[in-house]
Amino acid sequence: MSTEEKVPTDKAVDPQAPAPGSAPGSATAAQGLAIVARTQGQLVRRRFFRHRAAMISLTILFLVIILAYTSIGFAGIPGWWIWNYYTPGKVVNRGAPTLSLWPTFLGGSGFSIGEHPFGQDDLGRDYFALTMRGAQISIMIAFVVGIVSTLIGVTIGALAGYYRGWVESGLMRFTDVMITIPILVIAAVLGQKFGGAGPLVLAIVVGLVLWTGLARLVRGEFLSLREKEFVEAARALGAKPNRIIFKHILPNTVGVITVSATLAIASAILLETALSYLGFGVRAPDTSLGLLVSTYQNAFATRPWLFWWPGLFIITIALSVNFIGDGLRDAYDPRQNRVRA
Amino acid sequence: MTVPPTTPPDDVPGGSIYGPATEEIPELFQVYEPSEGVELTPSRTSSVGPTGTTEVLKVENLTVGFPTEDGLVRAVRGVSYTLHEREVLGIVGESGSGKSVSSMAVMGLLPKSARITGNISFRGQNILSMSKNEQRSLRGRKIAMIFQDPMTAMNPVYTIGFQLAEAVLSHEVMSKKAAMARAEEMLNLVGIPQPKARLNSYPHEFSGGMRQRAMIAMAVINNPDVIIADEPTTALDVTVQAQILEKLIEVKDAFNAAIVLITHDLGVVAGMAHRTLVMYAGRPVELGTTEEVFYNPRMPYTAGLLGSIPSAGDTGRLRPITGAPPSLINLPDGCPFSPRCPLADDKCRTVEPELLPTDTIDHLAACHHWDRLAAAPDPTAFFRTESEAHR
Amino acid sequence: MLPFIVRRLFISFFVLLSATFIVYVLVASAGDPRAALQESTDPGKANKIAILTRNLSLDVPVIPRYLAWLKGALGCLIGQCDLGNTATGADVGSQLTTAMGSTLRLVLFATVTAIVLGVTVGMITALRQYSGLDYSVTFLAFLFFSLPVFWIAVLMKQFLAIKFNEWLKSPSISLAITVVVAVLVGLAAMAILGGDRRRKLLAFAGGAAAVAVILTYLNLTDWFSEPGIGVVAMIVMSAITAVACTALFADFRVRTVLYATLVTALVGVISYFALDPILADPTLLLILGLLVVALVVGASIGAGMGGLFRSQAIKACMLTAFGCSALVFSSHLLNAVPAYSAKVNGVVIATIGSSTPNFTGNFWETTLDQLGHLILPTIAIVLISLAAYTRYTRASMLEVMNADYIRTARAKGLTERTVVVRHGFRNALIPITTLMAIDFGSVIGGAIITETVFGWSGMGKLFNDALKIPDPNAVMGFFLVTGTAIVIFNMIADIAYGFLDPRIRLS
Repeated sequence: MSTEEKVPTDKAVDPQAPAPGSAPGSATAAQGLAIVARTQGQLVRRRFFRHRAAMISLTILFLVIILAYTSIGFAGIPGWWIWNYYTPGKVVNRGAPTLSLWPTFLGGSGFSIGEHPFGQDDLGRDYFALTMRGAQISIMIAFVVGIVSTLIGVTIGALAGYYRGWVESGLMRFTDVMITIPILVIAAVLGQKFGGAGPLVLAIVVGLVLWTGLARLVRGEFLSLREKEFVEAARALGAKPNRIIFKHILPNTVGVITVSATLAIASAILLETALSYLGFGVRAPDTSLGLLVSTYQNAFATRPWLFWWPGLFIITIALSVNFIGDGLRDAYDPRQNRVRA
Repeated sequence: MTVPPTTPPDDVPGGSIYGPATEEIPELFQVYEPSEGVELTPSRTSSVGPTGTTEVLKVENLTVGFPTEDGLVRAVRGVSYTLHEREVLGIVGESGSGKSVSSMAVMGLLPKSARITGNISFRGQNILSMSKNEQRSLRGRKIAMIFQDPMTAMNPVYTIGFQLAEAVLSHEVMSKKAAMARAEEMLNLVGIPQPKARLNSYPHEFSGGMRQRAMIAMAVINNPDVIIADEPTTALDVTVQAQILEKLIEVKDAFNAAIVLITHDLGVVAGMAHRTLVMYAGRPVELGTTEEVFYNPRMPYTAGLLGSIPSAGDTGRLRPITGAPPSLINLPDGCPFSPRCPLADDKCRTVEPELLPTDTIDHLAACHHWDRLAAAPDPTAFFRTESEAHR
Repeated sequence: MLPFIVRRLFISFFVLLSATFIVYVLVASAGDPRAALQESTDPGKANKIAILTRNLSLDVPVIPRYLAWLKGALGCLIGQCDLGNTATGADVGSQLTTAMGSTLRLVLFATVTAIVLGVTVGMITALRQYSGLDYSVTFLAFLFFSLPVFWIAVLMKQFLAIKFNEWLKSPSISLAITVVVAVLVGLAAMAILGGDRRRKLLAFAGGAAAVAVILTYLNLTDWFSEPGIGVVAMIVMSAITAVACTALFADFRVRTVLYATLVTALVGVISYFALDPILADPTLLLILGLLVVALVVGASIGAGMGGLFRSQAIKACMLTAFGCSALVFSSHLLNAVPAYSAKVNGVVIATIGSSTPNFTGNFWETTLDQLGHLILPTIAIVLISLAAYTRYTRASMLEVMNADYIRTARAKGLTERTVVVRHGFRNALIPITTLMAIDFGSVIGGAIITETVFGWSGMGKLFNDALKIPDPNAVMGFFLVTGTAIVIFNMIADIAYGFLDPRIRLS
């Protein structure tokens, strides 16, 4: 039972195609087995859609994003929520949340959203709007960080893995240096310097520190793939390095890259909220989920809602992204089939 | 071994562009037509030695199924054979024919989810009804297995000596020194030079042939009665192959063991096995002495296999069997070989043939039309391609 | 081996050097410490600005400043450390030494716990793939992975500390809790032991019953007010330890190893009584010394009684000795809880600082104090690392168990236990060493956050405060310590890798 080589194919035989029965005729007639050709992309997509946790998470994440961006609007486009996140108001009932979910027949006050479902903060601002704004910023930062770090990581890893020699040594030494600095430390330093310039700048800057893991991974993949025969064949045909990298090797690393990018987004959320919590991330007057938690952490005993809502959103977003990443990983590299015991 | 006559092109005297004429090729790979008046060369199986009479292993109607998400994979569908002392049984088949799975069932190495029915008796005791511990005491001690790829089959972090000693110590209580001495003895037996020093080497420090010899040593260190060799030479060079096979025969005789040799290489079986079992789609389709099976195949699949072997004097096109083995989840009705069989008719496609005696009681085949094969002077001719037929 | 280590040291030194340059330049350019002062209306600000400038050499441009710092830092190699002054003029070196103690304690404790727990759970879930336990653990791992440390820390402060201390004042376990915990433990036992239906049911019943009995007993005897391990419990638990260690290293067919471990356990119980006077108020050195003695005694018992199974017996006995020593240690700790609780007004699990200020007490009370402060930050950090170790170990173990050599080991007739522990586990550990190196960086990040939440005056606070100014010298001091720690840890991981995998060793 030797391990199978991962052969990069454009078409794959679908082992689940039923045999429609043998056709009458001579021995050289139709085989009786239908071979349905599917591209790798289609296979991956199929497996991904079968992963229940990932699909549920995808839906949840989608809903959260839509909620965050449409409820209070952004970039000048108005939203459908009555309150905004910056206008102070009168504090009603100590700012307690007006959301109730417990149905009346179970002793609650029925289902209603009320004026301020998430409550109000010290200044009477609507907490739902604040949370949504925080979510918007955190999500935006996470995605930007994910994209930037993926681009850098893939570039460095690909160059190092393909060109070997001093290019590789230099890039890998540089990566080693960056790895020596704990991520939170370097992110905090950069955040201290650039945090005041707004969330987008912060995001790009933080993306400049999260690429080390992906660079190592991509380099590893390139190192093993460039020894494969199909690369040798391409080189023998006279293909230029550019073409080999982009058309031959890179498509085979798509799986690893996608999974890493997704996980990078998840850790970016946690990193950004941690930074904002410590004070090195998003600063007032902007808000982020981490900043909200930091501001109200001491109110936990008296006004727990100020603390719960932002945290729950952080967890939901990070968890969904993590599950999606896991689903992608399974889709690209399925392990042994589950056996009905 | 019967194959279509190797007619060299008329204009090339005494041979073909591929090499000397058939008569000059060494014995093992030679091909004879009985009609040419040359004596049937006794196969090398006679050098393998006579077999004992005690029945060591008896497999009756073994079936193995694996439940998967897509359905039940019926990997083995009714295998039966008996093995006597010092006998070599060759099991031949393509990937997916069930040859490895049936042997893993004998060893008890199948995953828990496998559904096994049938009887496997070792010296009269039914293995399948034994407790786990009893099965384990047989494994590695009375029934041993040699695997295909010796590099991955050995643990890379422990020395060879340790792994050999482990095989001994798991069945017998003795001092570590004694176990190591036994290990050294075994390494010597299989022909590894400087065995004492080699005890402290790691698997990756050995060459492929050496590793397989070490595997053989590991299998026979407890004096087993049955050795199951699952494609022992597939991962090795051809030159090393012969050495390993020779070594296996030596070891078998030294320990009075029987060998089940699983392979897809007909040449290996021809030179080594007393009897041959051909498997297809999880079922045995022909069983008989090696000579009978090779010279008088009574199942079209066997004929096709034999006919597909290129010989050194050949100049025509290769003659593969068209098509591919069926899916084990969705087997076609009737004979599983019928989609690819040149002799198939409606009966073949509806009724699955049973393994029944043909010319002699010892030669069984699973084919409705084995008599047509018996009648033909050259059974492999049925598989000749169109272009050849017109030659 | 040695040239390998030397070469690594060399490379690591230069890597660290380059990193210090990057960090210094970034911090120095992150802002001007005098900016706040310049805007203020403080009449004495000119003077303050001058002092600040002198302390941090702000009149010198960045690169020469870095070189000056580097010169001072390199002096550390020859024992003359000069890491500059903080913004307030204090010496960075002495600040570091005071802060290092508590942070190092936290980081080490958290790392060790995470590794031990994570690897164990990962292994078990790999062996029981697709069971209910596997799915729950996987889900929990994902959940922990997605938790923001600071958020969960605040939650823990409330529920695990404040509420727990409240509960400790009049502890009682309700019937509902007993039932729930018993059922959960039963389910876990069922999943862990596996096997056929009968064995699973027995495991469930046994586990649930045992837990139910223990909890009820604890409740009825009001154990929580005066905890301790009585004689009976001591004997029983030592015996269980002995059996467990035997199961891990040998099998029960031949009793030799079992007898050896049981004898070791007996020695442990006897020493529990015999050493009572010495252990009234020991020092840390004494404790460590006794531990070494215990291990040696265990090893000798194993060697003496092991016979043909000597090596297995030695390993099993040493582990038993360690386990029994841990039992004795815990017993003394638990005995000291009431006294300690009285001294700290019932705040057993603390939420602020790394130890109670101005605390005096014997060794056990001081240790309890440190543990009480340590536990919450450790849990916070461990939660995140645990998820990574569990998933990684599980994946590695699964891959290993599907390898050919496992099949060979089974074909040789080895017991399943031997196959899993000797062949599977050993090979699965190899890639985990790489994870240890990578994870350490995130542990340090976690430490920074938890120290902030729990108000520890450790390296994290040092870093936080320093970066806000920004004070390059202090930050560099922090980075020097943590960077060196990371580099050393990386090297240990590399060496461990070479030790575990002979294929690397010889290349």
